[in-house]
Parts: sequence; C-alpha cells; structure tokens
Amino acid sequence: MQGNDHSIVRAVLAGDKEAYGALVRAHSAAAFRVAFRITGNEADAEEIVQEAFLRAYQRLEKFEQRSAFGTWVYRIAVNCALSRMGRPEIEAEYRHGEETDAETKTVQLAAQDADPERVLLGREASAAQEMAMQRLTATEKCAFVLRHLEERSMGEIAEALGVAPNAAKQAVFRAVQKLRRELAPLRGNA
Amino acid sequence: MKHLSEEEQIEMYYGDGSEEARKHLKVCQECAAEFAKFKRSLDAIKSEDVPQRGPDYGDFVWQALRPQLIPYEKKTTGWHGWSWWKLATAAAACLALMTAAFIGGRLWEHRSAGPNDVAGGTNAGNAQPQQRVVLVVLTDHLDRTERLLVQLNHADLRDRSESAQLQTEARELLASNRLYRVSANKEGDPALAGALDRLEGVLAEIANDPHLTAADLERVRKDMNTSGILFEVRVLLTRKPNEEGGPKPAKGVSI
Ligand SMILES: [Zn+2]
Repeated sequence: MQGNDHSIVRAVLAGDKEAYGALVRAHSAAAFRVAFRITGNEADAEEIVQEAFLRAYQRLEKFEQRSAFGTWVYRIAVNCALSRMGRPEIEAEYRHGEETDAETKTVQLAAQDADPERVLLGREASAAQEMAMQRLTATEKCAFVLRHLEERSMGEIAEALGVAPNAAKQAVFRAVQKLRRELAPLRGNA
Repeated sequence: MKHLSEEEQIEMYYGDGSEEARKHLKVCQECAAEFAKFKRSLDAIKSEDVPQRGPDYGDFVWQALRPQLIPYEKKTTGWHGWSWWKLATAAAACLALMTAAFIGGRLWEHRSAGPNDVAGGTNAGNAQPQQRVVLVVLTDHLDRTERLLVQLNHADLRDRSESAQLQTEARELLASNRLYRVSANKEGDPALAGALDRLEGVLAEIANDPHLTAADLERVRKDMNTSGILFEVRVLLTRKPNEEGGPKPAKGVSI
C-alpha cells in the first residue's frame, strides 16, 4: 500500500493530477475520523479533510518518500484542526459554555442517585465528557484525542503538533488531569 | 521507591511506564488499588460516535477537490532550484479560492451566521467551507512567514545551502503574497491590501538578496517593523464584514 502510494505521488508530481484521486479516496476516512474527534463537529471535520488534501497537494514536493503518505496527510489534517480550534473567534465558539453550566449541574445531581457505572455509560455522561473536553485548550484536546482515542505514540503526537516530545507529553498529562478532575463528580469519587 | 505519581499513572496507562514503576505497582497494594481506580476513570472516557461516512466519501472529497488542483509539470530543475511552475500551481490554487470567497463578498463572515446556514454545511456547493479554507490559507501564509523570520533569526547565513533554502521559502511566500494583495485590492479592501503590500516588501528583501547577511536581516526587521506588519494582517483577518475598512459585500450577490 505504502509503496503504491509512493508511486502515485510520483505520478502526480509528473503531471498526472487524476492519480491524486486514489490517495484522496484511500485516506479521507481516517482524516475525517481524527478531524471529527478533535473538533466534535461534522461540518468542520469535512472542511478539514478538504483543506488537508488541498494543502498536501500543494506541498507534495515536500513530501518525503521515506514516510507514508497516509501518516503525512493525517498529520496535516491534525494541524488544520488544531489551527482552526486555536483561532480566537472559533475558540470562543467551542467554548460558548455559559448556558451549558446548568446542564452540567443537572448531570451531577442525577449522578448522585444512580449507579455511577451506569450513569457513565449514559447519554448525560457523554454530554458531560464532551463539555469537559471542550474546556481543554486546543493543544491539550488534540494531544489527548491522538493519545487516548487514536492511540498514537507520543513521538507521533509531538510530530503532528509540531512540538518537542516533552511538550506533547505534558499536554497529554494536563488533559488527563483536567478531565479526571472534571468528571470525578460523575464517578461519585469511585 | 515512593508511590506512583499521577504522571507515572498516566504513563503506565498508556504503556509508557518505566520498569521501576511497573515493579512498584506489582508489590504495592496501595498503588495497585489507586491505579485500578485511575484506569477505570480513563477507560470510561470514550470517543463519541464518529458519524459514519459512506463508501463513496473519498470520492465525494475528491470530486470537490479536483477542480481546485492544477496539474504539476515534469520536474526539470535540480533539487535546489526553484521551479516557477510549482509556485504558479500553489499560488493559482490559492487565488482561485480567494476569488471564490471574495466574490461571495463574505470572506470575513465567520460562523456567526444563523442556524439556518448550518444545514448547508456539508453541501459541496456551499460557499461557506471555501471561505473558511481561505481564512485558513491566509492564516497559514502568515504562520509560514512568521516561521521564516524566526528561522532566519537563528540561521547561519554563511551556510549557503541553508540560506538558499530560506530564500526559496521567501520566494514562495512572496509569490502567494502578491496574489493575496492583488485580490484584496480588487475586492476593495485597501486596509488588507496595504498591510500585505508592506509584508511583500519584507519578503522581497529576503527573497531577492542573494547574499543576505545577518546585518541585512536585522536592518530589514527593524526598518520594516516586520512583527508589526504580521500583527496588523492578523488583526485585519478577524474583522467582521461591516467593520471599517472591511471589504464591501458584493452587490446583489447572495449565496
Ligand atoms: Zn505505592
């Protein structure tokens, strides 16, 4: 697959634009998945996929043949998602949190009477989890999604975020700490 | 060894724990219990369901992307040389996006649009995604410019291959910058065009001087107030459509 991707890249660079379609078809789903997990928004994720493949095409000459095209475009998608979340006007949207506070409280109250394990599986819990995720910074959220949900290594995360390995690690740490703290009331401190 | 810290628990959880931590966990009941609790709490954090994309999704992405791509031409220059056709490819693709957005007259409208607009969010014919792509493209341009200035700051300019690479990057940025400026001008956004014009001056200095020295660079940075310009452009990008100096919405066009 990887060797195949490389020969497609060479074909594209030699002028066969149509060949790029095969790369887009092969790697769109993974890019969509990570973009959705980072942004939590379907329309945003679709735009990110478009952006990522456009940028990848424009920079195709910089693609190094020793890495896999899928990994490369995945990384670009993460970057697109990250820069989108990091922009202030968009950040404000992701965090437009005031009206959701009431909801959090309801969830916590409900949690006190119920079996915490069951509640955790419930819809309310996933809403609470989503809200807790939204309170992370863009980098923390990205790092956490990549580590926890996408099961990427710290090295890969550092590369995707364009930071030093230790900074990536710290971002995961902070995210885990914040999430556990936020979600502790739901677990009834179990 | 002392008990596991939260950081060590996190490392253990993700399989990055040290040998020492692993051994401790085996012999210390207190930590084992604590870690079990920790594990439960993290196991409970699951991905919300990722909406299913059909088997045609990749094709859908490709069909939307295809018209924006300009074919590469066969490479004729050496690895170091800059090929103008490539620059034209990248820049023309950016220009196409820019123009599409400007024609909509809504480049600076962010997602403040009403809930009715959301429904069209996945429609390939909708202009909104493209506008956001444009914003991203311009932001990316500024980021790259900023990175270039930082790199120049730390570069050993006597190293010919290093300075040649930086110069190549500067030329690339200069070319796209030109296109952005022309588009901004055409669409009646003098504030943005002016800021981009000043940025162009900086890029031209770097791109066109084959024997750039550290002192030249310092002079460019100081005389031209590069960080001020970058900041200015960023601020201009966050304007709303009806703010002073913003582009005028195209008459009679509604998308
Ligand atoms: Zn212990």
